[in-house]
Amino acid sequence: MTERDEIDVLAGEYVLGTLEAAERAAAHAQRRQDPALDAAIVAWEGRLAPLADWVPPVAVPEALQAKIEARLPVAEGQARILALERRAQRWRRVAIATSALAACLLLAIGVRELSRPHVPKTYVAVFQKDDASPAFLLTVDLATRMLSVRPVAAEPPAGKSYQLWIASEKSGGAPQSLGLIEAKQASTQRALAEYDRASVERATFGISLEPAGGSPTGRPTGPAFHAKLIETSR
Amino acid sequence: MGARGEVSNARIAGLALLRPAASTAATIVLLLQRVAERDREAFSALYTATSAKLYGIILRISRRRDIADEVLQEVYVQIWERAAYYDASKGSPITWMVAIARNRALDEARRKKAVSIEDTPEVLGIADEEEHPLDRVEKSQQLLRLSQCLDALDSDRREVVLLAYREGMSREALGQRFSRPPATIKSWLRRSLLQLRDCLGQ
Repeated sequence: MTERDEIDVLAGEYVLGTLEAAERAAAHAQRRQDPALDAAIVAWEGRLAPLADWVPPVAVPEALQAKIEARLPVAEGQARILALERRAQRWRRVAIATSALAACLLLAIGVRELSRPHVPKTYVAVFQKDDASPAFLLTVDLATRMLSVRPVAAEPPAGKSYQLWIASEKSGGAPQSLGLIEAKQASTQRALAEYDRASVERATFGISLEPAGGSPTGRPTGPAFHAKLIETSR
Repeated sequence: MGARGEVSNARIAGLALLRPAASTAATIVLLLQRVAERDREAFSALYTATSAKLYGIILRISRRRDIADEVLQEVYVQIWERAAYYDASKGSPITWMVAIARNRALDEARRKKAVSIEDTPEVLGIADEEEHPLDRVEKSQQLLRLSQCLDALDSDRREVVLLAYREGMSREALGQRFSRPPATIKSWLRRSLLQLRDCLGQ
């Protein structure tokens, strides 16, 4: 076995969990010193991750959440600064949008109604390209029914355009074009004046990849992202 | 992870095919950022979105509810403390959280040797029934590829990998299960891991 094989086997057994206690502790200590082992472990975690998907979820006893939250250390300034610095490094691309987004994404996953007394009705949708990053951010101000869509990490392949669609009750659920997204511009604005508030609120938005200049059929023809609006609190 | 410029998901053909996106992964990435900034509401949302999945994984390995309950608490405290270190370039946020959960559960299982096989016949019983568990899940591309590579292993060796990952079985426990000495299990694992790595080509 080569040296790389040795590292990969050790890392693989570490991730599978088959190392005995002493070997496991040694590997744990070694990965802190040895970037090659650490990278090999992370690689195995990724390779084997799909296996975790077929372990069925199990409802957690309710009392645990309160216990956990009681155990969280109180934030201190140092940790916060560290966190912010790291975050700034890693999330530069999406940083602009994050605070408003994240606040409202609490609602997105249906966790709880955060009742806030004065809520300007701004809505946000995230269109995602891969597991790591949003590709487009779409915001709608329901009061003015102005829509703005901003590419974050998306550039169409040569000879293609991104086209924005809305599927609402108004059109019986069929996607209607809202025009092309200019990838080179910071954001593209659209007025949704002809749609009423409620149908905009409940609509599904889609972004599809089309031949340059847009879909020739008036319907989406290429691969698409979809998203629904999420209410934001700011 | 899709390549840059490659778009995922189905085609839009009508409302029936439109699915809510802002997918779990993107949402969890954003929640983790907030957690890194010590946002307790975001933590609570993250917990609600992910705890049943992690608990299921932990319970499989820990086997006993009381141990799993304790491990889950430690895992979420660790997620709170380490959220700022999550690096999206190294993988999905769920993979990161699952690794924390599995590592903690495995540490506990190896350290204490507190759990005997008799503790949870029902968990092992489930494993017995699942000769081809991969057939029963919706196959993502990644899962499909892994599944193909696992299928290329001899059936006992494939089973060893699956039981180790999912049930957290030690070499010794696997040896008993397959009536082989632990050293044989170790050499099976060795060859299976290298074969898997090469098959997956990553």
